[in-house]
Amino acid sequence: MAVDVAATERPRSDLDPSAALIAAALALPGILPGGAHAQAAPDQGVVALRYYDYRDWQPGASRMSVRSPSLYAFVPLSSAYTIEGSLVHDAMSGASPLYHDTLSGASGLGVTDYRSAADVKVTRYLDGQSIAVGGAYSTERDYESRAASVEWRTWSADRNRTYALGFGATRDRIDSANGLALDKRRETYEYLAGITQVLRADAAVESTFTWSDGRGYYSDPYKLLDVRPDHRRIFAWLTRYNQYVPAVDGTLRIAYRYLHDSFGDRSHMLEASWIQPLPGGFVLTPTLRYLTQSAASFYHDPPFPQGSVPGEIYTADTRLSAFGAVTAGVRLSKTFGADVTVDVAVNMYRQRAGWHAGGSGSPGLAEFSARWIEFGLEKRF
Amino acid sequence: MAADHELLLWTDRRARADRVARVAIADVLRIEAKFSRYRDDSVATAINRAAGASPVAIDAETAALLRYADRCHRLSAGAFDLSSGVLRRAWDFRRRPSLVPTADEIDAARALIGWDRVEWDDVHVRLPERGMELDFGGIGKEYAADRAATICADHGIGRGLVNLGGDVRIIGPQPDGAPWRVGIRHPRVEHAAIGTVELRDGAVTTSGDYERYFEVDGHRYCHLLDARTGWPTGHWQSATVVAPLAILAGSYATIAMLLAADAPAFLAQQHVRYLLVRADGSIVCDTVSPDHGVRVVVAEQGRIATG
Repeated sequence: MAVDVAATERPRSDLDPSAALIAAALALPGILPGGAHAQAAPDQGVVALRYYDYRDWQPGASRMSVRSPSLYAFVPLSSAYTIEGSLVHDAMSGASPLYHDTLSGASGLGVTDYRSAADVKVTRYLDGQSIAVGGAYSTERDYESRAASVEWRTWSADRNRTYALGFGATRDRIDSANGLALDKRRETYEYLAGITQVLRADAAVESTFTWSDGRGYYSDPYKLLDVRPDHRRIFAWLTRYNQYVPAVDGTLRIAYRYLHDSFGDRSHMLEASWIQPLPGGFVLTPTLRYLTQSAASFYHDPPFPQGSVPGEIYTADTRLSAFGAVTAGVRLSKTFGADVTVDVAVNMYRQRAGWHAGGSGSPGLAEFSARWIEFGLEKRF
Repeated sequence: MAADHELLLWTDRRARADRVARVAIADVLRIEAKFSRYRDDSVATAINRAAGASPVAIDAETAALLRYADRCHRLSAGAFDLSSGVLRRAWDFRRRPSLVPTADEIDAARALIGWDRVEWDDVHVRLPERGMELDFGGIGKEYAADRAATICADHGIGRGLVNLGGDVRIIGPQPDGAPWRVGIRHPRVEHAAIGTVELRDGAVTTSGDYERYFEVDGHRYCHLLDARTGWPTGHWQSATVVAPLAILAGSYATIAMLLAADAPAFLAQQHVRYLLVRADGSIVCDTVSPDHGVRVVVAEQGRIATG
């Protein structure tokens, strides 16, 4: 069967034969830089081991402590695919903050719990864009969470601007150890839109909006009389700005986050870091962060308000109170050879009602402090 | 591609060089597998097997190579022909004792050559007559060298070179900015260089009558066969061309060999640097311009003649 193939194409060209040959050579896929082979995927893999030790306290009482080792890996599978994932195991012990425990007399003798979590993400790089699909699972004695996400990114040909769109869904299941919440469910959908713009060779700005809409059980079954709405919407806007300062070879990193929660609380967070490379492969990064938030509309300082009826919407959770908080931290990292980095970080956190911006905060709360220490070992290959 | 290949990459990380080299080598092997006529599952075999029958669907890469081969055919006035591989049926360079084919044998093979008769477009190709063949061997290796260099550059390795069996494509200059010194093989003295090319970018390839040949009655018959006559070229011992891409340098060198006495004029028209070795061993070399970052140095034993 002789099928006529385009009547034997004889392409005509206005170019002379010499120029036509060069044009045909340049038209071959993968000849020009940044060509047909999807070169966008990162080509360096990373394995990182981290250990995290957290402890918090209130005046006169040691509270919660968490120890968690984690393992992270990022592996380029080909020039078009990467896979990354992490495993973490937390051991938590202690009680939740003073005054808000189910058994106030037993503070400090409360729960010991373990949490195991894993997540994985596969990214496919195409010409000028990438698509990532991820999944996460976390389990502990009274809580189980499953999440899936998809994220699309696209960038300009010069890579100076990147857009991102994301969607995630999370399903949680709560079975409290005290039997007050059994088979309680929660579903959350999260939407993300972001833009990153390189301003100059030494400065870049990134802005991300996230919107989450969750329905289900939000109360804390371990807190007395804690009843919260079953619909929560959170809007957050995060902007980061990076500025390299060549005179001292350092980089200033500033971040601001505004958060608006349908529970009624609003927060502003401002963070500044300075990344300073030092001789001998050391990098020193001090960080200072200030957070101020207003209380949720149904937050009341303990004790339980007179005249209220148990079962009505109410919380005395410090995390939903009005306060100001300062975090001060410093990280020191050292790179050995070209591929191994070790780092240690210490962070101090202090939360006080009186530090709430533009008001005295929730006065019935004791000062709350925390510190956490991190060790990291990272190997690139 | 049974030849010596090397990949020289300069980076501060050994592991990074290994990773990028693996990506580049994988692509070279991909091209070899895809276009080899010796492999049962290659595109070339699929096209050749369907000769005289129905069209074969091709991808964009194959179509781009066909278009490139078409331009080579036009530029060489038909001396370069992607369908000339059938001449191997008359000229067997592995056969011992060596035998010069008869005129009838050559004519029978020539009857199956004819790029003008090949039906092709962006998505199909069809060889109109049973027995016809396409052979990508004349362009595939150089194409692979160019792609390998681009892959390395795209992965952030800006210094190094790719050498696929003597087809050398520079990725970027040496770490100190110095050019790479590429030796030009002496066509009659194995392991000796007849000259040196210094390159910071671009490519250099050499086509020679020494790669596959036999001698009968003191006459050398080499594998570079003129598609128009069916006979080996005998004017030059070798042609070395410096061009921005390995595929261009390779095509120019092959065409120069086939164009015989017209080669210097042809190469001058292409505005490329070259070094031709005559049948008597003397050298024809273009004027050397250091402005282009290219310097051709002729070894002491070479006799220089201006072309």
